[in-house]
Amino acid sequence: MTSSTHPFEQEEVMAYLDGELSANRAVSVAAHLRECTECAALAEQMRGVSSQLSNWSVEAAPASLTKNLEAARADHALVKETKRAGFAGWLTEKIPSFKNRWVLGAAGAAAGVVLLFALTLPTRRREQHSEGWAQLAYTEQLRSAETAPSKSAAGEVEAFIAQARPSPPPSPEPTQPMIARTASVSLIVKDFGPLEASVKAVAQRHNGYIASLNSASPQDAARTLSATLRIPSAQLESTIAELKQLGRVEQESQSGEEVTKEFTDRAARMKNARATEERLLDVLRNHTGQVKDILATEQEIARVRGDIEQMEADQRSLQTRVDFATVELSVQEEYKASLQGAPTAIGTRLRNAAVEGYRTVVESVIGFGVWALQSLPTVLLWGLVLFAPARWIWKRLRRPAVSQS
Amino acid sequence: MTSDEQLILELQQGSDEAFTELFLRYRERVYGFFRRRMNDAAQAEELAQETFLAVLRAAQRYEPRATFRAYLFGIAFNILAAHRRKSVLNPTQPDRAPDEPSDPSGTNPENVIWVRQAVERLEAAEREVLLLREFEELSYEEIAKILRAPVNTVRSRLFRARMALREILAIAPRNLRGRK
Ligand SMILES: [Zn+2]
Repeated sequence: MTSSTHPFEQEEVMAYLDGELSANRAVSVAAHLRECTECAALAEQMRGVSSQLSNWSVEAAPASLTKNLEAARADHALVKETKRAGFAGWLTEKIPSFKNRWVLGAAGAAAGVVLLFALTLPTRRREQHSEGWAQLAYTEQLRSAETAPSKSAAGEVEAFIAQARPSPPPSPEPTQPMIARTASVSLIVKDFGPLEASVKAVAQRHNGYIASLNSASPQDAARTLSATLRIPSAQLESTIAELKQLGRVEQESQSGEEVTKEFTDRAARMKNARATEERLLDVLRNHTGQVKDILATEQEIARVRGDIEQMEADQRSLQTRVDFATVELSVQEEYKASLQGAPTAIGTRLRNAAVEGYRTVVESVIGFGVWALQSLPTVLLWGLVLFAPARWIWKRLRRPAVSQS
Repeated sequence: MTSDEQLILELQQGSDEAFTELFLRYRERVYGFFRRRMNDAAQAEELAQETFLAVLRAAQRYEPRATFRAYLFGIAFNILAAHRRKSVLNPTQPDRAPDEPSDPSGTNPENVIWVRQAVERLEAAEREVLLLREFEELSYEEIAKILRAPVNTVRSRLFRARMALREILAIAPRNLRGRK
């Protein structure tokens, strides 16, 4: 198949399935897929490859990973603390790094460091760390109790079940309405120079970030800046207040989209899907039928698992929209505002008038030049054509005068 | 449920609970990242641990313009790359022992082994893009950043990888073609 017979490259069909096309492009590809059997078949193959790949599960991470990390992390906290204390830093630098045989080496060294500094350092931080890890170990127990499959039977099927990735506990029901908040602010500023840095600083102060930022400085119009900020929802009000300090507010609006229902609906569907998965795993555990049926069940489990993971991803991104409010900021330099008739400082208006006057002069000179260049060839042509007859007439008119004298 | 990005920001402020939660959320996936790329389970575990420690040590370096997932697997990828360089210099600890059976636990159902072997037959650069997309679920742009390659290159490698994989899987001894 070539792109001459299809309006899209094969790669674009794949990008469409991966959610990598712009909305417009995606709509056209989707429409084409409904009509073109060849491209639809390609899409189906792509999905098939992904679905087969999803069969490749990996055994659960060994429990020692958690334990070792816990030890290394206590070690890390110690290093941080002694560095902060500002002395004997060299000693902590000598603690073997976490990579090789760090458990044995670091345990000894750490014990020494603890002895040395236990009396001189506040112990609060260390306690915090161990609390955190106690909690982790506890949560872990809970999770394995919930999800670990029974090890009663042996064999391939059991191994497959053991490898089925454990589901995280169902998402908690939201206790308060979930609202994805958006705000838009338009400003006019006098001083455009430090603006970008100020906007970034505001976002940073509020633990937010700048999702996109565009600034334009056209030659003979006001400079503009538009930015999308993502700000922790709790800080939205204070962020907007700070942004409004940057200039004169032209427009401001806020809205909130209630997404609680979307969230709970999806949570319910996730719960159902998890129950289905659990039932299928049961079927597999008790299955005595043919290999063919076992495989079919396994594929069905993989499919349900895929759905669950998709829903989990959607749920996470919805959560992000709730956690981080979106602020659309657009800023214009004062110059353009004055052209639009808003009252501005006399100085600015005089300067604009001077600029306009200068531009008018320049443009009239250029205009004359352009006119001259455009008309010159025509003038020359007609001059040449008319020169001989004009001269003849001129001579005829003068001759009688000469003969009379 | 707090978002990953919120959690790493809390970790930057020194929250231990935030790290614990991130670890619980990503433990399996980071272990899986290494496990799918090497046969040595102990080695995979060690590198997974190194990855989380790097997150802990370099939390300040996270910038909220990237998703935490992309940031995390970027770190994991760098750690894997460093490990591979070391293994080349020091071949006493090979990444893949040639005699070792492709399936270390010996208990995988056949179709898992088959998929795994099929992926191993892909070209290295194409395989990497495929794994980052299918298992780490990164966007083309995030993969491009990690591999320091143009997005278009990522897209065409991914396309070639999937087409090749389809060919390899099509000659399966049993028909394991995907669902409907
Ligand atoms: Zn087509």
